[in-house]
Amino acid sequence: MSIRTLLIGLDGATFDVLDPLMEQGVMPFLKTFLAEGARAGLRTIVPPLTPPAWTSLMTGRTPGQHGVFDFFRMDSPATRHIRFFNSNDVQCETIWTLASAAGLRTTTLNFPAMFPPPRISGYVVPGWVPWKQLRLACWPEGLFDKLKTIPGFNQRELAMDIKIEEKATEGTSNYAELGPWIELHRRREQNLFQVLRYLTEEDPSELTAVLFDGVDKLQHLCWRFIRPEDDRPLTEEWEFQIRDLCLQYYSCVDRLLQQMCELAGPEATVLVASDHGFGPTYDVLHINTWLEQHGYLAWSEAAQERDTEGALLGVGQVAKHTWLMDWAKTKAFATTPTSNGIYIVVSDGTSPGVPAADYPAFCRKLADELRQVPDLRTGQPLVSEVWTRDEIFQGPHGHVAPDLTLVLRDGGLVSILPSAEVVSRRPVVSGAHRYVGVFGARGPGIRRGLDARELSILDIAPTVLYTLGVSLPENLQGRLPREIFQEGVLEKQPVRKVAAHAAETEATNHAPVSAEMEDEETVLDRLRELGYIE
Amino acid sequence: MRPSRQEILDYLLRTMQDLTQDWDYAEPVNAESLLFTEVGLESLDAVVLGTAIQEHYQTPMPFAELLAEIGEQRRDLTIHELVDFVDLHLGAPVPETVAVRRPQ
Repeated sequence: MSIRTLLIGLDGATFDVLDPLMEQGVMPFLKTFLAEGARAGLRTIVPPLTPPAWTSLMTGRTPGQHGVFDFFRMDSPATRHIRFFNSNDVQCETIWTLASAAGLRTTTLNFPAMFPPPRISGYVVPGWVPWKQLRLACWPEGLFDKLKTIPGFNQRELAMDIKIEEKATEGTSNYAELGPWIELHRRREQNLFQVLRYLTEEDPSELTAVLFDGVDKLQHLCWRFIRPEDDRPLTEEWEFQIRDLCLQYYSCVDRLLQQMCELAGPEATVLVASDHGFGPTYDVLHINTWLEQHGYLAWSEAAQERDTEGALLGVGQVAKHTWLMDWAKTKAFATTPTSNGIYIVVSDGTSPGVPAADYPAFCRKLADELRQVPDLRTGQPLVSEVWTRDEIFQGPHGHVAPDLTLVLRDGGLVSILPSAEVVSRRPVVSGAHRYVGVFGARGPGIRRGLDARELSILDIAPTVLYTLGVSLPENLQGRLPREIFQEGVLEKQPVRKVAAHAAETEATNHAPVSAEMEDEETVLDRLRELGYIE
Repeated sequence: MRPSRQEILDYLLRTMQDLTQDWDYAEPVNAESLLFTEVGLESLDAVVLGTAIQEHYQTPMPFAELLAEIGEQRRDLTIHELVDFVDLHLGAPVPETVAVRRPQ
């Protein structure tokens, strides 16, 4: 047995960064890889956020269908508690389960929404798991002990270590803090590759997938070093040193790409994909402050007594936010800082909130007003889109999604903290998610030198399944991008479709999973440290 | 069949001993070990442990409420108390948003 399809995830990769790096000789293998295959921009889903976007890639379905919208979700319609996402939230088949059901083996490393691990045929090392718990997270049982035999295996660096992540925070402005953190991520990707190589040499899987998420992390915190043209020219020696370390990271990823392709061999199809793109972000919209100023939200007395100067989210702000609001007077609020979502309080007839009959008009009014929020420096609208739940989260799980989802002009995330001003300027430019990521493919039957312009992230699942020879479920929302295949390939291997899995239909008819509720304090702290939130 | 308190304790001790062997944690873990200050769990570890426990017993349990409570009271949690919590909720009625395993 050997690898038939190798899927390499580069979290947050964008051609805005990769193209210059390829031209500068930092990523020579990727340049060759794309020249010998096909490339395209990869348009992601709304919101362009790691958990829902990778889940869309893995399922070929939009969030309303698969059930993952954010790092957090309301635990149930009857509570304002939020909890951290986990794999039980994924309410449809994935490429891993479909391949497994077709009798193929799968190795999947470091993808989100994989804990608790699915009981597939093959190996699972989930992402977004703290290092102390990695043993519990791996599948099958006994895998972790095998991994410990790999020379140089370092579970602390392979999984997440909050204490290490704490050393670097957004706005960090010295070499001593950022430098070791960047090097950690380089070692981490090498660790992942060692695991992939070990499993492939010991017991290869037809579908092998690995996600390198250092790309996203570096771009969040180091955007000004990676693309100084988006901020100001680098002047200090330490700034050039940080840029060099960033380039060394990308160079390392390039070498790992080459080694993985060599490991997979010439008969494997290799797919490279990111969950979203990236770009600079300059402004912060303090959404709950705006809602307060427009009469939609009221803070409780406890909230008003709190000192918000310099307040960050690491001290349980979000968890407390839901309880620090005056619910008798609050009609709309944002409770997580990661998805730009606004929830509307709908009255049941006796409770405070928006009467159910007024809900559609209230949504329209609020959306219209949000579209008028100006960038105070330019006067241009700061909010470029306001999506309603019905517009973007259609499906059996849309009811747990925010009522409104904002898209900011610069792709940034909102702040949910009280603030003296509605819009504030970041002290330094940061990286933020964008809608178009990257796609690349090379292998037997893939066109050479093709620029397919733009594909959808929903197209990856059918592409993976087709290259594995697995039938495509009819309920996939993506399409097989026929244009990336050489002439005659699809005639020789026709696309096979099957009805949606009966078990999935059953699962999607059930209520969302209720698992534990997260200690939001810690998770928010961690997200802030990783640069997802301010 | 519902596990006994002793079976729950055995499972939790075995799990914690398996985990701590990877952390260079030298002290023995017993029913009175404090999960945070002695064993060295951080909040996120507790969340993942909670998920694993629910997965093991295939039963949803309000771990966030437990964590919020001990956080608010600024106290720690012994493995013995964790056994109490699991035992209590293994016998609790299944909430409306019952856990449903997705297809695998």
